[in-house]
Amino acid sequence: MNALNTDTFEHYASEVPPEAIKLHVQNLDFFYGKNQALHGVSLPVVNKGVTAMIGPSGCGKSTLLRVLNRIYGLYPGQKAKGMVMLDGENILDRKVDVATLRSRVGMVFQKPTPFPMSIYDNVAFGVRLYEGLNRAEMDQRVEESLRKAALWDEVKDKLKSSGLGLSGGQQQRLCVARGIAVKPEVLLLDEPASALDPLSTAKLEETIVDLKKDYTIVIVTHNLQQATRVSDNTAFMFLGRLIEFAPTAELFSAPRAKRTADYIGGRFG
Amino acid sequence: MASFRRARRTVAAGAFTTFCWITAVIALFALAAIFWSLLTQGFGGLNLAVFTQSTPAPGSPGGLMNAIVGSIILCALGMVIAVIVGVLAGTWLAEYGRNTPYAEAVRFVNDILLSAPSVLVGLFVYDVMVAHVIGHFSAIAGAVALALIAVPIITRTTEDVLKLQPTALRESGVALGTPHWMAIRKILWKSAGSGILTGGLLAFARISGETAPLLFTSFGNQFFSLDPLRPMASLPQVIFNFALSAYDDWVRLAWVGALILAGAVLAANIIARILTREPRRS
Repeated sequence: MNALNTDTFEHYASEVPPEAIKLHVQNLDFFYGKNQALHGVSLPVVNKGVTAMIGPSGCGKSTLLRVLNRIYGLYPGQKAKGMVMLDGENILDRKVDVATLRSRVGMVFQKPTPFPMSIYDNVAFGVRLYEGLNRAEMDQRVEESLRKAALWDEVKDKLKSSGLGLSGGQQQRLCVARGIAVKPEVLLLDEPASALDPLSTAKLEETIVDLKKDYTIVIVTHNLQQATRVSDNTAFMFLGRLIEFAPTAELFSAPRAKRTADYIGGRFG
Repeated sequence: MASFRRARRTVAAGAFTTFCWITAVIALFALAAIFWSLLTQGFGGLNLAVFTQSTPAPGSPGGLMNAIVGSIILCALGMVIAVIVGVLAGTWLAEYGRNTPYAEAVRFVNDILLSAPSVLVGLFVYDVMVAHVIGHFSAIAGAVALALIAVPIITRTTEDVLKLQPTALRESGVALGTPHWMAIRKILWKSAGSGILTGGLLAFARISGETAPLLFTSFGNQFFSLDPLRPMASLPQVIFNFALSAYDDWVRLAWVGALILAGAVLAANIIARILTREPRRS
């Protein structure tokens, strides 16, 4: 179906010791109906680090992210083939309970999506599904999550007011707080700063760097500077293929694939 | 040349705006005229007896209590059925059925029902419930007829407002590990709540004035009755019977009933506006 053969794409991937890998994508194909969006992608995601995915629009980076918590499963007609190992277990396996998987692999979206409820309830929402915490424990969990998301000081006096009343940047950090409140192991960020102003973006980036102490983070971004600022490893994707995967500093200073060099050099994209 | 074109545009714009003004005035005038006749003809007859006594025989004192209570019961029962069926069906169409052939078929049939003449609905319920299942006129048959009219409205509005909810909101609920149905129940319904409520109110406003289907089903009752298996009076049916009668006191009561009906719909709309008014900044 595709005139382009995998052989025509350069492919370079730095080795990562197996024990450092939290999430391992192996030979992943993805289909939107009959359209193949990912072609044999393999990518290691390093434990307690930030992995950035970059590439031009339509290269499949968001698609790849959406496989990692199987959110694509909401849409009949979307299919993934291959393996995604989370701590040695293939999450694409039919037997895996998606709700439990999604509580282990959280996600924050491009646009802030506060739920139509109070700030407190936004953060507590996911926790209530899985844990029977008492009032004091829940208060503590909410505070802890909001602190980690660098939002606590701004909202501590209005926890009962609606999450919809916050500014865009605050809403996005509320979504981060909501995502980490359920104590996931992996956090997926789909262009989390694209709808934010520079100041809010800077705050969110600080939050991300802070969070990697406790979480494994995968971030999709259009912003190359952002990738260099927050990530440890970077994957460059193009036309549904992984072209290059390397430590961020290496990939940006000495890209091995010509396409990577062209992209980060601003020659296309 | 240019100034000619500009002048022509100015005239055309002026003519169009004037035309819009006139049509708006016509629409508002019709509404105002209805309210005016309701108030002038009905307000004088309003008194306590209207709410405390049942419909009288011609020439004797009486009120509309049986019809008012009957209308409340019929509408409430009808709305309970319609909201349950309509909200669930609309949710299914928006969230699960989407573009599958079955969903398309349901949507198509629903749209037909949406414009089905209410007299047909009445006739159908008459044939099924009055003539066969129950065997006589009853309030429950009236409620079912009203529900059948309200269901397509609620289904349609529920589907529409759920589709307006951002995909990311649905996905972010699910991404927390919430099962899809729970994300719908706790997040999407809440977020779409004011829209669903508006749909419910539209349906309520529509059925509260329906007469034709009730004539076949709940029929009417001169006496006060709360029994859902017996015939029951209702405001539209009493208005219909009394307004066409030759007795002045009945005609007067019909106007009072019409005023009460209009007032109730207006009140429901105002209450809904207040309930759905929420501070939102984005």
